[in-house]
Amino acid sequence: MKLRIYAIAYLIFLYAPIVLLPLFAFNDATIIAFPLTGFTTHWFTELTQNAALHAAVKNSLIIALCTAIFATILGLCAARAGAMSAFPGKKGIVGFVMLPLVLPEIIIAVSLLVILRQVLGLSLGNWTIILAHVLICTPFSIAILNGAFGALDPAMEEAALDLGETRWSAFRLVTLPLVMPGIISSMLIAFTISLDEFIIAFFLTGSNPTMPVYIWGLLRFPSSLPVIMALGTILVALSIVLLTIAEIFRRRGVRRSGGTDTGGFL
Amino acid sequence: MTDLIKLRGVQKYYGDYHALRDINLTIRAGEFFSLLGPSGCGKTTLLRVIAGFEGVSNGSVMISDKDMKDVPPNQRPTNMVFQSYAIFPHLTVAENVAFGLRKSKMSKAEKADAVAEALKMVGLDGYGKRAAHALSGGQRQRVALARALILKPKVLLLDEPLSALDKKMREHMQVELIRLQRAVGITFILVTHDQEEALVMSDRIAVMFAGEIGQMDDPETLYRRPKSRRVAEFIGKMNFLPATVTSVGESIGLDIAGFGQTDVPQDQAPEGAKPGEAAIGIRPETLAILFEGETASRHEAPATVDEVVYYGDMTYYDVRVKDVPEPLTIAMKNLIGRPVLEVGAQTRIAWDERAIVVF
Repeated sequence: MKLRIYAIAYLIFLYAPIVLLPLFAFNDATIIAFPLTGFTTHWFTELTQNAALHAAVKNSLIIALCTAIFATILGLCAARAGAMSAFPGKKGIVGFVMLPLVLPEIIIAVSLLVILRQVLGLSLGNWTIILAHVLICTPFSIAILNGAFGALDPAMEEAALDLGETRWSAFRLVTLPLVMPGIISSMLIAFTISLDEFIIAFFLTGSNPTMPVYIWGLLRFPSSLPVIMALGTILVALSIVLLTIAEIFRRRGVRRSGGTDTGGFL
Repeated sequence: MTDLIKLRGVQKYYGDYHALRDINLTIRAGEFFSLLGPSGCGKTTLLRVIAGFEGVSNGSVMISDKDMKDVPPNQRPTNMVFQSYAIFPHLTVAENVAFGLRKSKMSKAEKADAVAEALKMVGLDGYGKRAAHALSGGQRQRVALARALILKPKVLLLDEPLSALDKKMREHMQVELIRLQRAVGITFILVTHDQEEALVMSDRIAVMFAGEIGQMDDPETLYRRPKSRRVAEFIGKMNFLPATVTSVGESIGLDIAGFGQTDVPQDQAPEGAKPGEAAIGIRPETLAILFEGETASRHEAPATVDEVVYYGDMTYYDVRVKDVPEPLTIAMKNLIGRPVLEVGAQTRIAWDERAIVVF
């Protein structure tokens, strides 16, 4: 019983701020404070008319999509190599590849900024953010895809090879369909991480801000706070949907390749 | 029968580890051949060398007089049934079986016929539309067989195909595999660590130890005339007694501890046997306990029952014979009216020099 109270208190602590988002997004007042004054969808309407916000969202979507694709391709290569071949120093290399997972984002942001601007003298743009986001998302992709490859019987690809397929067609016809749920799951998670990442985007953004950076800029104007609440509500809903889909695909993948579930991110 | 597979001086190293040491063997067309040995003896490596999944460090692999060097697995006239069966879980049974036909020029209808025929052959008539991941172990194995046999390979390679099945199913599948091999006439090469399985199924068996072939013979020769002590120990059960070779010639003169002097024909001893210290082996079922009123047709010796293990159809006795260092195991059928002796009982045992192997 004591534990249950503790758990409920913990959940409130965790999710109360998020619950406040939709509450004030639909509140008919510019000031974020109780008591609520009435229901409105005005703030959502305002969202649809803000061209600068649209540009920022479009930027973020492009970055997130590219990040998802590149991180997943890199993750696929790393996970396959880790699962199927033995090479000297494998454990060390795998550990090293996973390191960005625990590296503070501010460190990555600052060091990348220094390298790109000071050392290489390049100008910043969407591609620099994509680069950095691929860096932080790849370990997540590897972790998810490791699970997908780990549940895969290494004899599968050999069996296809034995039945007349080439190395590539064996991979395409057998391995790829079996790890596809993992691939989709990895892309969705990388997409979600990239979409709401702020620190790196803030440091490396060029003239066109990403959505989180744009939102941060809006905070200077108290009158636009409810609009941010509305945007936040949409983002939270979107994140929950994407992560749920990702987890469904990951579980289906484990089930389909006949393995037992050894955990995931959800 | 013509020779189908020839391995000459095959060596395989993994780094410093010498997995295959100078393997020479010839497998004939249409033969059921087994590679038998304890785990880690290199039998699976040898099978994978024949399939093309492993290259050789030295030596040659010929199939139908063609050198298989640089020929990848997808171009060899071999197909494999994997230990895990490696059934593709995202496909149906029929799609699994038809997998190897993807590149063939058969029409859709011809492929469907071939799949139906292959499924019928392995006793899975009408299972085509089922999802592969929902099959039982025995069914998976049948699918793996159908999938490999549909390509009509010259050689079917089976990597411990029965080890994942329970005892009843395993015995059933042994008979099925023999029947299938006779029906299709394809050369089967079976890898197994189960000596009984190898004896039941094979035309010939190669017994492997530590990357070498210890002996290659038909099951009966292998069982009755093992050429070395480790082969004798690995296949079936054998009693070993110290002995002295007293004379060599047309027959071999022996003085066996506890048994006394006897002569055995030359073919029961290794070639070039010399007088001196040796050992003899004798199988438990070739010895016999003598019950009241029975006499030995050849030789007998007094003995004391040391242990009794009752199996229902058989009783295994461990008996002590004077001057024999280890107890001897004797297998007796539990015939009608034959009593089961108790530990400590005094008895006599019968032995026959024709069943003796000299090492």
